[in-house]
Amino acid sequence: MSTITQPPAYKQAPWRRQIQIVGAFMLVLVIVATIAGLYLSISGRAAAAGRRIQQLEMREHALNLEINDLRSHLAKISSSISLNERIGSLNMRTVDPHTAIYLEVPGYSPDLRKGIEKAPLPEAPKAQLLPEYTSSLWDWLRDKIWTISPNLTENPNEAQP
Amino acid sequence: MKTHNGRILTICIIATIVALAICVQFVRIQNMPVAQQILDDSKAYQGVTQLVYPNRGNIYDAKGRLLAGNETTYEVGLDLNAILQPETVAKAVSDVMGIDYDKVLAYATTEPGNGNPFYIQLDGFVSPEKIMRFEALVEEYADMELGRNEIRPRLNGLMWTPHNKRSYPEGTTGSNVLGFYKYLDRTQGMGYFGVEETYNTLLAGTPQMVYTAFDPQKLSMLDEIPPGADIELTFNREIQAMAEQELDEAIEWSGAKGGTILIYNPKNGEIIAMANTPRLDPNKYWNYAELFPNPEPFNPTISKTYEPGSVFKAITVAIALDTNVIEMETVYQDDGSYEIGGVEIRNWDYGAYGDVDMTDCMRWSLNTCLAWMAEEIGPDNFYSYLKAFGFDRNTGIDLGGETHWPLKLPGDSNWYEIDLATNAFGQGISVTPIQMAMATGAIANEGKMYVPHIVKAVIIDGKRFEVDPVLAGTPISADTAKKVTEMLTETLMDESYENAYIDGYTFAGKTGTGQIPTEYGYTNPLTNASFVGWGPSEDPQVVIYVWMQEPTRDIWGSQIAAPIFSKVVEKLVVLMDIPPDSIRLGENAVLQVLESGE
Repeated sequence: MSTITQPPAYKQAPWRRQIQIVGAFMLVLVIVATIAGLYLSISGRAAAAGRRIQQLEMREHALNLEINDLRSHLAKISSSISLNERIGSLNMRTVDPHTAIYLEVPGYSPDLRKGIEKAPLPEAPKAQLLPEYTSSLWDWLRDKIWTISPNLTENPNEAQP
Repeated sequence: MKTHNGRILTICIIATIVALAICVQFVRIQNMPVAQQILDDSKAYQGVTQLVYPNRGNIYDAKGRLLAGNETTYEVGLDLNAILQPETVAKAVSDVMGIDYDKVLAYATTEPGNGNPFYIQLDGFVSPEKIMRFEALVEEYADMELGRNEIRPRLNGLMWTPHNKRSYPEGTTGSNVLGFYKYLDRTQGMGYFGVEETYNTLLAGTPQMVYTAFDPQKLSMLDEIPPGADIELTFNREIQAMAEQELDEAIEWSGAKGGTILIYNPKNGEIIAMANTPRLDPNKYWNYAELFPNPEPFNPTISKTYEPGSVFKAITVAIALDTNVIEMETVYQDDGSYEIGGVEIRNWDYGAYGDVDMTDCMRWSLNTCLAWMAEEIGPDNFYSYLKAFGFDRNTGIDLGGETHWPLKLPGDSNWYEIDLATNAFGQGISVTPIQMAMATGAIANEGKMYVPHIVKAVIIDGKRFEVDPVLAGTPISADTAKKVTEMLTETLMDESYENAYIDGYTFAGKTGTGQIPTEYGYTNPLTNASFVGWGPSEDPQVVIYVWMQEPTRDIWGSQIAAPIFSKVVEKLVVLMDIPPDSIRLGENAVLQVLESGE
């Protein structure tokens, strides 16, 4: 008994098959391009944020120097030497203790401030970077999916206890 | 078709082998011994690790006024890679900073690398005014209108970087207490003398290694480096400046070699003012060696010992009263001399005063009477009390450089019986002014003696930590302290003490004229003139100690130190807001005091 090989009853047309291959390739290409674009975007934003942090730190350093400088300048112009010079230039003189009269003023209490006592400073809010800047792309996508999926599964019409 | 498939198979096999070879090479390279070193070396190109020094903490006076802080100064240098016009840079640096043009040009034309530096520092401490001149030049060059073939001048490569420099806004005021910080040494700088030395670790903070990545994606928030702790002192700038002014005037008036005015709070040991000469401007600390030639101490109040003379009688009479050797009414018959250990003791004026009570002994400052008292007390008791008053040790004040003279004790090879008598009136014993002030503080504060201290509080991260007073001991009873104060208040109201009189206020006090020993005995014609006073008598707020070294105008403490004490107190009561007797005690009480004085 001889076996006769018959062609299949149906075969994809060559152009259709080509379109399928090209389509599949394009799909992969689009996915890769999307992921690459996304990664580039996030990397760019991370870099910009890093640069901004660097600038702010430099600004903070400059401001600290300026604060120190101004504080020292204020102390210099209000130092006892400067004040005495200004008293002299204004033709004023310090009071002679012999001519001073001690007056009691009802209700007056001397300056009892405790020097440079400060109230405890409130804790400064800590700057927090978004997870987009710190997590990997895979972690970020997984987190996004996890945060979206519960919303999808929730039935708004379900009776609440 | 078969051949075609065979070729594809061959190519696939070759490609697979190449891929595998590459993978194997990946693994091999990563595990080579040199790999770790390459990785480590690569870190140098990924970022920079720097040791960051925190801002040095500030020092404030008791009212929060800045005594030591930081101000901006600039480091100016040349980034050799960035220099475009060496001549322009050299000209600008030469004009603004006064550095030789040729020298700067030689720096600016140096080829970086190959053993040459990439950056050359020209000056580490350039004033902001000079930097403003550089900035003005940059602006001027940028706005310059140029002709067709003219080249715009540029200062590229000239860099200025701000940093902190220690600053003392009050100049010399209180400098002996503050000490100084060697700010010219930016990495190894530390505090010397005074508060700057004692509290150097707190003020300096903790330097930290900080890594900064070049890759902005790897930049994260740098750790905050907390600044050094701020320190608040017990002393008051106004009072310190007043005491220094009075001291300077007194030295000029009396012809003294130097002097000290110390104002101390006996109730808690706080130093309110500590004026000394000479004084260094800590902004120019490099003048130290010139101003303080060896062995001149930086702060004589705590570092210089001397024989105090009769101010010490206040201590002796306190011991005599506390040991019940005498009562205030005890009468001593003074015939002008007293013999002890085969040596004759005489009074300061070689006079004989006849029958005198203990108040008169102090009023006339009779050496014979005090020598008798000491013998009655006995050496064991006497020296035990001196130890209790702290004369055998440092007071423990929180300032660098404190010293004391060892107390000679019975049994020591250099102690003789005569020492008991001479020690009783302040000769043959050496003390520092701070020791005398602390001991007198016990008399002024109901027998309780506090360790002197200069720091009132430390502020770390905005939180204030108060320094608690430390009780150094209770050498005498409150009753004894009250009696000595009464006795020396009465003597101060006497005519012989008119130089120390303070209008409207009642103080207790004692003069002192200390002879100066030489290798041949007490042959120096000059003296140390002192005065110790405390008050107001009914509730002493301050102990004031005045010491004038070798005055030439007069040798006596009553003529030199007493009027200085009086002038200081007159101003001090105003600055400290201490009401006069008539307000504190009422008019009647003042009349009673005056009557009892008469």
